[in-house]
Amino acid sequence: MNEILTFDHVSYIYHTKRDEIEALNDLSFSVREGEFVAVIGPSGCGKSTLLSLAAGLLTPSAGSVNCSGSVGYMLQRDELFPWLTIEKNIYLPLTIKHIKTKEIYERARARAVKYGLGEFLASYPFQLSGGMRQRAALIRTLASDPDVLLLDEPFSALDYQTRLNVTEDVAAILRKEKKTALLITHDISETISLADRVLVLTARPARVAHAHELMFDGVVNPLKRREMSAFSGWFEILWKELNA
Amino acid sequence: MKNTENFSQEHHKFLRARKRKSILIQCLRIGLLILLLGIWELSAACGWSDPFLTSSPSRIAKTIGSLYTEGTLFYHIGVTLAETLTGFFIAVLFGTAAALLLWWSDTLRSVLEPYIVVLNALPKIALGPLIIIWCGTGSKAIVFMTILVCIIVVIMHMLNAFIMTDQNKILLLRSMGAGKLQLLTRLVIPSSLASFISMLKVTVGMSWIGSIMGEYIVSKAGLGYLIVYGGQVFRLDLVMGATCILCSLAAIMYFCVVLLEKLLVKNTQT
Ligand SMILES: Nc1ncnc2c1ncn2[C@@H]1O[C@H](COP(=O)(O)OP(=O)(O)OP(=O)(O)O)[C@@H](O)[C@H]1O
Ligand SMILES: [Mg+2]
Repeated sequence: MNEILTFDHVSYIYHTKRDEIEALNDLSFSVREGEFVAVIGPSGCGKSTLLSLAAGLLTPSAGSVNCSGSVGYMLQRDELFPWLTIEKNIYLPLTIKHIKTKEIYERARARAVKYGLGEFLASYPFQLSGGMRQRAALIRTLASDPDVLLLDEPFSALDYQTRLNVTEDVAAILRKEKKTALLITHDISETISLADRVLVLTARPARVAHAHELMFDGVVNPLKRREMSAFSGWFEILWKELNA
Repeated sequence: MKNTENFSQEHHKFLRARKRKSILIQCLRIGLLILLLGIWELSAACGWSDPFLTSSPSRIAKTIGSLYTEGTLFYHIGVTLAETLTGFFIAVLFGTAAALLLWWSDTLRSVLEPYIVVLNALPKIALGPLIIIWCGTGSKAIVFMTILVCIIVVIMHMLNAFIMTDQNKILLLRSMGAGKLQLLTRLVIPSSLASFISMLKVTVGMSWIGSIMGEYIVSKAGLGYLIVYGGQVFRLDLVMGATCILCSLAAIMYFCVVLLEKLLVKNTQT
């Protein structure tokens, strides 16, 4: 399969008045089309920076980032606009990109209905539960049909119960839509239950310390994975590497 | 809204208790006003205080009445109201526009920051003589004073609101490919609506300060003029009467803003 996103010896330095902070140092990896890659690393190691670079919001200080498709960004909190209805929120990427094609709006709307937000289209975000809002955020991200999804700890603001459910939903949606995804997370079990491949980053400045293909005999359902015997093995490995 | 018939007994009880409480509060408010006016009137009538110095509600009413029969009441109200509203709207309009400009350009903002701070700290009344020389002694000077008092507050309040826009939402829009103009129209302006309303509330008060201050310095008509004139000829009934009218006008203007808020900020409770 062809590579859709490549980081080639990328470094990034934040310059502030007092200091220069080296967030990434000589980071290389690539994501293949249709692949679900998770990135884990200690807090503050430069994970969000990595996503900003992938989205083209930052330019690397050295090396190069190559992305051959459009990206969709999803953040820790849903960031739905409180003054827009759920429907208008979902159309936001289309409004911003000045897309006028009716079918694209229809498709976004149909997706919302399909994934259980149909009766809330005219509601405002504050009327929805946390899990539903995060689902709305995902459907917004998908509206413009991005080739690569960049997910920055999208579940970490949810409580445990909701989180398992939303993770399940999101995994199903992404697999069904055959999307490429780059997921950033703190959560080892979330990583193991979702990803095809894991990159473990070092502490700041981040480099790729380890990379693993997660083989679960083709099982992609997060809850099923959690029940499999290989799960705890992977947990132990990643736990050790993360705390090395 | 839910159908009221679906509420439980307890909820009906709760609602009734709430309603009773709010009626009680209203009654107490009005009662307190009547009590204060009563004591004031009584103390003047019984000679506990000198009505020449402290006036009294009935004398104030009589003064306002006589202004009305002379036909000058609405003239003075009109003059002050026109000055205040003109100054208010110009300050809000240009102040908000200036804040937008300062949000847009970091460089401009950094350059102008010390000027804004100094202008904010400057007591505007110090500019009185200059204003008279520049704008003459008519309404223009008073409107100018009102603008001067209001505009810095508007700029600082709105600029602060614009700058406080959620960084994550900015990041999100930028990842969708939004440019600066789209950031402004899609995010910064709508998310500053609540601050805009609170700015209006503050500016209502400031605009009355500005116009009355202006009328103290130069004026031939208006409520501020009546107050100054009444003070000079020792007609405290007139001073108090004009002050009362001023209170009601400021209150009405404030409630207009509250009404606007109810109209605009319907769906943004988070
Ligand atoms: N705008 C900025 N200016 C200066 N330094 C920054 C900036 N943004 C991030 N940093 C620094 O760069 C480092 C990496 O930040 P980043 O947000 O990418 O980490 P992260 O891995 O996403 O952290 P977390 O796990 O807390 O989400 C941190 O040490 C942070 O302090
Ligand atoms: Mg982060």
